[in-house]
Amino acid sequence: MPKDFRDTFNADLLQKFAALAGLLGLILVFSLISKNFPTRANMISITIQTTSIALAGIGVTFVIITGGIDLSIGSVLALSGVAAGLLIKNAGWSVPSALVAGVLTGMFCGFLNGAMVNYLKLPPFIATLGMMQIVRGAGLLATDARSIPGLPEETFGWLGNGAMFRTYKILDNGNQVVDFEGIPFSVTLMVILAIIFYYILANTRLGRYIYSVGSNEEATRLSGINVVAIKFAAYIICGFFAAIAGIITMSRLVTVQPTAGDAFEMDAIASAVIGGTSLMGGVGTISGTIIGAFIIGVLRNGLNMLGVQGFVQKIIIGLVIIIAVSTDQLRNRKNT
Amino acid sequence: MEPTLKMEPILKVEDISKSFPGVVALDKVRMDLREGEVHALLGENGAGKSTLMKILSGVYQPDRGRITFKGNPITFSSALDSQKAGISIIYQELNLIPHLSVAQNIFLGKEPLKWGFHINDKKMNAAAEKILGGLNTHLDPRSLIKNLAVSKQQMVEVAKALSNNSEVLIMDEPTSALTGAEIEELFRVIRTLRSQKVGIIYISHRLEELKSIADRVTILRDGQYISTDNYADLNMGEIVKRMVGREMKNKFPEKKAKPSNKVILEVKDYQRRGETALASFSLRSGEILGVAGLMGAGRTELARAIFGADPVSGGELRVDGKPVVVKTPRDAIRNGIGYLSEDRKSFGLALGMQVKENITMAFLEEVSSRSGRIYKSREKEVAERFIQRLNIRTPSISKAVKNLSGGNQQKVVIAKWLFRNAKILFFDEPTRGIDVASKFSIYELMDQLAASGAGVIMISSDLPEILGMSDRIMVMCQGRIAAIFDRSEATQEKILQKAAGL
Repeated sequence: MPKDFRDTFNADLLQKFAALAGLLGLILVFSLISKNFPTRANMISITIQTTSIALAGIGVTFVIITGGIDLSIGSVLALSGVAAGLLIKNAGWSVPSALVAGVLTGMFCGFLNGAMVNYLKLPPFIATLGMMQIVRGAGLLATDARSIPGLPEETFGWLGNGAMFRTYKILDNGNQVVDFEGIPFSVTLMVILAIIFYYILANTRLGRYIYSVGSNEEATRLSGINVVAIKFAAYIICGFFAAIAGIITMSRLVTVQPTAGDAFEMDAIASAVIGGTSLMGGVGTISGTIIGAFIIGVLRNGLNMLGVQGFVQKIIIGLVIIIAVSTDQLRNRKNT
Repeated sequence: MEPTLKMEPILKVEDISKSFPGVVALDKVRMDLREGEVHALLGENGAGKSTLMKILSGVYQPDRGRITFKGNPITFSSALDSQKAGISIIYQELNLIPHLSVAQNIFLGKEPLKWGFHINDKKMNAAAEKILGGLNTHLDPRSLIKNLAVSKQQMVEVAKALSNNSEVLIMDEPTSALTGAEIEELFRVIRTLRSQKVGIIYISHRLEELKSIADRVTILRDGQYISTDNYADLNMGEIVKRMVGREMKNKFPEKKAKPSNKVILEVKDYQRRGETALASFSLRSGEILGVAGLMGAGRTELARAIFGADPVSGGELRVDGKPVVVKTPRDAIRNGIGYLSEDRKSFGLALGMQVKENITMAFLEEVSSRSGRIYKSREKEVAERFIQRLNIRTPSISKAVKNLSGGNQQKVVIAKWLFRNAKILFFDEPTRGIDVASKFSIYELMDQLAASGAGVIMISSDLPEILGMSDRIMVMCQGRIAAIFDRSEATQEKILQKAAGL
């Protein structure tokens, strides 16, 4: 169907190509300016830094497509880590079961968000704004606002610091150093989850209903679809991803910090939006969000390399969000 | 009532062409409008009326051709441009702000000011009252739009246009949401405007109403100019023939369906929450049950309650003789009930989604695995099958539904329910705002459905349609079922009497 192909090509691919071209352009520019930028070690470190943003971005993409928003991601990220840390430290749980409990904590927060949106009929912005404060407060309360150090390096730090195919070499002086950093477990996990959830969104009934709820919730309900369940699913998925991002972050530091992830939801939302997800609902893709996350990650890393001040970085990232979304809007206007 | 017509037209359109990617919307179309005339613009959906209106109101720019306004050639680059020049348009879907008052809406963007910044409410309300008075419409300028009936809102739109000193007023399907008495009032206002030398371009699918107001008639078909005549020189058959391009002998198809004796739906003492009336009726397989009544008689509300879209406080429902409980649309659909809303854009379609996605929306289970994986090729087959069967005009199955014309959008909604194998189908105002040929094919579809053993409940405010299609006619009044007639005993008069509560 050449006609079919052209339709999809025009609307979706072009949009994604624009974002992808932007990303590649950034990489090219930074590579030309700084010779430390295009090294293997730096590429791996960008990927690690981007992993948590991408994970949280995937989660929030589901919520945004339904026409919602989740502002509690940063707080949920912290609470999930706190739950896991306390269970290990104070309750003597094994690391794997504590991590599972941490993830369930995140999903439970998502469930509460869904319940407020579905049953209290709160606007998602308000529901998750409240949740952001409550969850942050709960995490600080449970830890007395202190971080939890001294977690088992081998197990708790495994996900954040381990890697596949890592090789070492022995120097002349007998010291052992890393030869190839390997592919980090956290990145592998992100890729696997991205593929699974890409598939869910693009090829399953759940995915289709997420789009249709965002496109016209009432028409979806009148088509016999359980809209309440779909919205629950979206917020629980978002909580799940916030928790995974939290566990990876804490694992990397081998320390649980109740203050972690402050304003992290903004990075997640920004990556979705840069990747073409519409806050009006009904539009968005996982691949777009991943590209969006990498644009943010590459920008931060590259600007750091160039020695650009943190405050200036914020200004530049803000401009990128505005430019990305406004070109998107202009293109859409032309299409219709 | 002979209007005084000056021969030099106030607005003249010549050889206007406009193409969109893949479609020629207008091909050398012409039209002229004189001072103080009502000029009806007719054509089926997709004939190019809307495109022409959007060009006149500055929303689109023509590819070729000339527009002359008051003797001067003009180009409009935006809607504001044409408004400033004196051309106003009232769209079918009204453009008012619900939370603002009548006067605030009329003077939106041109509020009278005190000291250069303070909105002079007193002056604004007085001015609004004066404009409305000129239309012989007495409305409190302070009442909020959201509290007004659609017909009153329309008067506000007219007043808003007049406040721009418009000399040309374009009205797109102004009567589609109005009742008989309200239509009369609108016509009275139109005649007042005509006597004030305003030129009016009037678009409508309700051909019967032209005889009350139209001076001249221009017909378009498939983007081409067909003819312009004095209304008095035309008859209805000729108009329809020119619009459709072939002779349409009958407005309604020869009915093939015959009601059987099998009752497929029985509604007993059904009560919507917050409503005192109890509703009881039954529907047989193969039957088309027409539901007549005035606006606000509770027809849509009853349908929505039976479909599970609104809460119910009591009553019994039997499908095929078996009692069923319907609390949500999901329950209703599982029991084979489908509902085509009167407002397809709000309740029937996900406008931004593709044609095929809308067709399969209510029955995605049929084209997906148990675990939820959608078989895209099967979905495509289904969509193509229904596009062919219902003759849906779309460039491709993956086009967003919002790009289709009204009639074709309605067919997409019908396809959704056909695919779902609904055997009890509510059609709520199925032909509102739809052109003659699409209407006919929707009637044919209803008949086919009934012939295949389904039961159809058709809610309609169009009496000829009710009489032309129904086997039995249920009349509602103030939330109650006032009467149920057999087709053979029903007349317009009887229905109207019952609908009015007599």
